[in-house]
Amino acid sequence: MSSHAGAVSQLVDRLSQLPGIGRKSAERLAFHLLRVREDEALALSDAIRRVRTDVRYCAACFNLSEKELCQICADPNRDAARLCVVEQPRDLLSLEASGAYKGLYHVLLGRIAPLDGVTPDQLTIDALVERVRTGKFSEIIMATNPTVEGDGTSLYLSNQLSEFPVEITRLARGITAGSVLEYANREIIADALTGRQKL
Amino acid sequence: MSTDTSRHHSTTAIVLRLVDFSETSLVVTLLTRDRGRISALAKGARRLKGPFEGSLDLLSVCRITLIAKSGDTLDLLTESKLRRRFRGGERSLGRTYAGYYIAETLRWWLDDSERHEAIFDLTLAALALIDGRGPVAETVLAFDCQCLRLLGHAPTTRSCCICGMKIEHGERETSHNVAFSVDGGGVVCAACRPRQASLVMLSHSAVQTLEELLQPLGETDDTSRQVALSEQDGVFPLSSLLPRVGETSYPALRGFVTRYMQSLMGRMLRMQPYLPTTIRSRS
Repeated sequence: MSSHAGAVSQLVDRLSQLPGIGRKSAERLAFHLLRVREDEALALSDAIRRVRTDVRYCAACFNLSEKELCQICADPNRDAARLCVVEQPRDLLSLEASGAYKGLYHVLLGRIAPLDGVTPDQLTIDALVERVRTGKFSEIIMATNPTVEGDGTSLYLSNQLSEFPVEITRLARGITAGSVLEYANREIIADALTGRQKL
Repeated sequence: MSTDTSRHHSTTAIVLRLVDFSETSLVVTLLTRDRGRISALAKGARRLKGPFEGSLDLLSVCRITLIAKSGDTLDLLTESKLRRRFRGGERSLGRTYAGYYIAETLRWWLDDSERHEAIFDLTLAALALIDGRGPVAETVLAFDCQCLRLLGHAPTTRSCCICGMKIEHGERETSHNVAFSVDGGGVVCAACRPRQASLVMLSHSAVQTLEELLQPLGETDDTSRQVALSEQDGVFPLSSLLPRVGETSYPALRGFVTRYMQSLMGRMLRMQPYLPTTIRSRS
């Protein structure tokens, strides 16, 4: 049973439902919010309210956006000939953080996982096919997670897109730069050999 | 802290299911040779660095270390080293879905901590064939039939499953087809046939193939071979059954085995619609 006042207890309960936040962390956050200036604490609640009311999916790529088109789709300096397909908006953020890619994205909002009841029609695959059909892409980069389900999703997509004159590639996989072969897993070495590049 | 209620344990395991527990942690369902099907919590499993090294992927074969907990507490997976990754998804959707089907089947066939070494060896062999160059449809059918045999659910083929009357070869040959009762679990004699609602008719050649698919394939007591992952056919000689499944008998046998399993499990598996409908649908 909680020994906190009703409002504090409610806040702790709410915070502890967030991913990665346990009861102790929730209490720390709650007491922090009670300690800081009122406007600072209320700014957090405003930010939560705004993100829930203003953020939606980009009409083109299904990234998170506050406008019809997200910043990436609306940017004329992006390479419109390349399209990178990712599972979730947070995967897009990881690729953007690398700074190595200047093309466009398409977010599937999941992966095909029939064991969990997730079928292709529940993802944004139809929109992707339509986008490729009507767009002028020369390369589609499959950046789904390197798991059995991620690979299965990429394979399904490549079958769906095979009728279009686009090059379909996927992210490289293999040995981490800076590591040594001696300690690399044999499956990782097999991946690296399969995906070897010309010098 | 006392370790009276927990035990460290190392074994080889096949990953059957992954469920997100938190941002980086997973609840993993594993099939092991010596502890059967188990579920364990893998803290930080999604992190690349750490004791799991990204090894916990669906249908992967891993060498795991876990702390067995008592009571209803989940076992704790402390380490996992990848032995073999299932690569079906990189090559063929048919192979991927067949792998999913095997994982789903085992989740429903087996109870927690029910040790079944032969099922483990059979699964290794089936996954090796599916992930390699083995025929998908025949492998999955042979896997199902061997599972039925090993779990004591093999349908009767020589005596009526209702009255127990022995059905001689002569009698089987005189009728056009052989009647199998899905609910009864085997062949039905002419006298019992009118009272059965869920009958499937199989040709004589299909019944002969079914009998071959259900036959024992040898013992797997040699524990020295349990981690010989590159020689799965030596562990469980599943591939010796595959040429016996003919193109003509496959659809009827697949249909019967699917309906029979559905009746035993009391449910339709999610991956059943994805099974190959013909033996030619190899991919």
